[in-house]
Amino acid sequence: MSMKKIPEYMEEIVKPYDSRTAMEEASRCLLCHDAPCSKACPAGTDPASFIMSLRFRNIKGAAETIRTANPLGGVCARVCPYDKLCEQACSRCGIDKPIAIGRLQRFAADQESLFGMKIMEAPAKKNGKAACIGAGPASLACAAMLAQAGVEVTVYEKKALPGGLLTYGIIPSRLPNEVVEREVRHVADLGVRFVCHTEIGKDISVDELRKQYDAVFIGTGLGAAKTLDIPGSQLKGVIGALEFLAEAKTGHAKIGKQVVVIGGGDVAMDAAATAALHGAKTTVVYRRTLAEAPANLDEIAFAQSLGVGFCFQFRPVAIEGERSVSAFRAAGTDGESHITLKADQVILAIGQSCENPELGGVSRTEKNLILVENGATNLPGVFAGGDITNGGKTVVQAVADGKLAAYSMLKFMGGVK
Amino acid sequence: MAIKKDLSVEYLGVKFENPFCLSSSPVDDSYEKCSKAFDNGWAGVFYKSFAKFKGVDCSPRFDSIGKESMPWMGFKNLEVQSDKTLEENLEILAKLKRNYPDKVLAVSIMGTSDDEWTELARLVEQTGADMIECNFSCPHMHIKGMGMDVGQDENLVREYTKAVRRGTKLPIIAKMTPNIGHMELPAEAAIESGANSISCINTLRAMMSIDIDNCSPMPTINGKSSISGYSGSAIKPIALRFIANLKQYPALANVPVSGIGGIETWHDAVEFLMCGAQTLQVTTAVMQYGSRIVKDLISGLSYFMEEKGFEHVQDMIGLAVPNIVTTDKLPRDYEVLPKFDHEKCVGCGRCYISCYDAAHAAIDWDEAARRPILNEKKCVGCHLCVNVCPVKGCILPDRVRFREGAEVRPIVYQTKYE
Repeated sequence: MSMKKIPEYMEEIVKPYDSRTAMEEASRCLLCHDAPCSKACPAGTDPASFIMSLRFRNIKGAAETIRTANPLGGVCARVCPYDKLCEQACSRCGIDKPIAIGRLQRFAADQESLFGMKIMEAPAKKNGKAACIGAGPASLACAAMLAQAGVEVTVYEKKALPGGLLTYGIIPSRLPNEVVEREVRHVADLGVRFVCHTEIGKDISVDELRKQYDAVFIGTGLGAAKTLDIPGSQLKGVIGALEFLAEAKTGHAKIGKQVVVIGGGDVAMDAAATAALHGAKTTVVYRRTLAEAPANLDEIAFAQSLGVGFCFQFRPVAIEGERSVSAFRAAGTDGESHITLKADQVILAIGQSCENPELGGVSRTEKNLILVENGATNLPGVFAGGDITNGGKTVVQAVADGKLAAYSMLKFMGGVK
Repeated sequence: MAIKKDLSVEYLGVKFENPFCLSSSPVDDSYEKCSKAFDNGWAGVFYKSFAKFKGVDCSPRFDSIGKESMPWMGFKNLEVQSDKTLEENLEILAKLKRNYPDKVLAVSIMGTSDDEWTELARLVEQTGADMIECNFSCPHMHIKGMGMDVGQDENLVREYTKAVRRGTKLPIIAKMTPNIGHMELPAEAAIESGANSISCINTLRAMMSIDIDNCSPMPTINGKSSISGYSGSAIKPIALRFIANLKQYPALANVPVSGIGGIETWHDAVEFLMCGAQTLQVTTAVMQYGSRIVKDLISGLSYFMEEKGFEHVQDMIGLAVPNIVTTDKLPRDYEVLPKFDHEKCVGCGRCYISCYDAAHAAIDWDEAARRPILNEKKCVGCHLCVNVCPVKGCILPDRVRFREGAEVRPIVYQTKYE
């Protein structure tokens, strides 16, 4: 099946608030004394403040709060697992249901461009130079914080476009490309230079960068999708979810007619939704229960609304086929049940492995992750954050890591303020 | 709706099937609107004010004001008298009375001279209408000696009421303006001059809001606007005050009052009745929701009567009047302390913030448990916390603490907060 222009795939599923509906939701907020929502945000986005601003009709102030705290506020508004962070902490849960913090954040963050505001600014006088490796959320956040402090920042990216997983790994109906482009542009507007098609360990090395820059940030993320060690996993038609999503987003995916997605995270849901939106009969197979699935409940519900089937508590046994996939077999964790699903494509969404190249001798864990303390590696002047340090968490955690590393870098560079 | 109670009231010798009427306004200026309202269950209409000459209105002429996500807390209108000719209005009235003989037809009129008032009254009586309401109170007319000008001037009230009386034997209701310190005086003048009842309140003169893009009051009419009538839920407290004033004024205590001002629910209706209103008039809520709201007014009032054991609406009228006293008559020798229900509490800390910033800093905040703790020594029983708490039943008045030397006695206070 070839790629078609499918509106449901390209357009954001969740409708935006307008000033009236945003006020309705903001006025549900209890405006807590101790704001547990704000405490629950890894990136310090401070929902309590921006909702208070919305409630008092200060929409621009709300946009300022978000952007000041979180250079990717518009992205996080769309992809954050609120139900596990700020919204879970919301005091209103004790009355009925939490404030829709994510949707309010999206409303406020979107006003920034509607009002033509320029909230982040870089001083004219530059002091110090830094490089960020990889142009995903961790590097973007790090670069934005550094640039606002007057550092000249260059970001190196191996792919054609900045954004990392935001650009290549998240379904547009959840995170439209223009939102990513807009937030990358905000960072570029600070004078941050993006050098794409440049891969670390191949085109440049950490050692070279350390010579050229006062400080270096590694935010390369993890590598390719983990593979399955089962018969048939080498067959044509077996593909990693991130590769699949990237191909879909750039318009060259080959999408099967009967697709099996293995995994229970957001990437699995995005892959399943992408396949289903392109007309594939799609089934998600996950080894644990629905309650244990790490994916956002909204993402699961969205996939379900598209007719995606779910087999919980089944683990993969084999992929069958001559040269390409023809069926998928799984066994129930009860030890007795067996299913065989007809399939011409199997998408693996069981996580990524860390396959990063040599990175100038930074200390790594046994899983090949970079060891950091407050964003600093064992090498003087080399910092890291995001999935490569935390093993693959959330966008908002990557932003938090990038911010933290930026503060440490500024301290390291001394005098730079 | 299940409960059937006799909601009928007698007002000025006329039987109303329930106390609910449309007030003179855009909601009852045509046959169709009145007929639909009657069909929905309204007992009567105070048919939209008309004069000898028809009104011409500006556009827009309405605007609403809200708070947070609650729209229409207040409503402003600039509409003048009926835009129909006198003949058209008289025809409509005759037709309404013919087709709805059991509904009550009160008719609001406004004249510019003694002769006009007399003639309008005479013409209205001929249509078969039940009573006449004199509009002495429209706050947005700018014709000298019309509308609110009258209600602010006892002599004009006297003169015009007498003129109306010359034209009719029907009951006369003087509709008074709240844009005055003491409504009792012009109201008394009306009664002395032949009026049988007072309608109150008409709308308040207000600016409501400024269009900050055009630096003009709202609604902006070609870049400008006027001070005009303000109505809706926001003015209910002021309406209740004026009705209480009339009811407590010895010369007027027994004069029937038709209550107007922000009535939206059966609960509002009960409040007006308890303050002494005998019939109730509604406009703003009908503008927002339509005349169908009368079904819930009727049903809600019936359930309330059932719950409290009232057999007749009349039994409720004026019950609150003896309890409206001047502040010097209020006891000041005890405090009603609140109680915090830590199970219901969601830990928002709003009571703590408000008490600290705006009351007596009598609430300590347990940061770890996220719960308020009352400091009884500092608490003065002001109940700011009770009012600010967003959780039903979390903070409630709990117990009376008498001051030193006070006589320990049973104290009546509210224990139910919705």
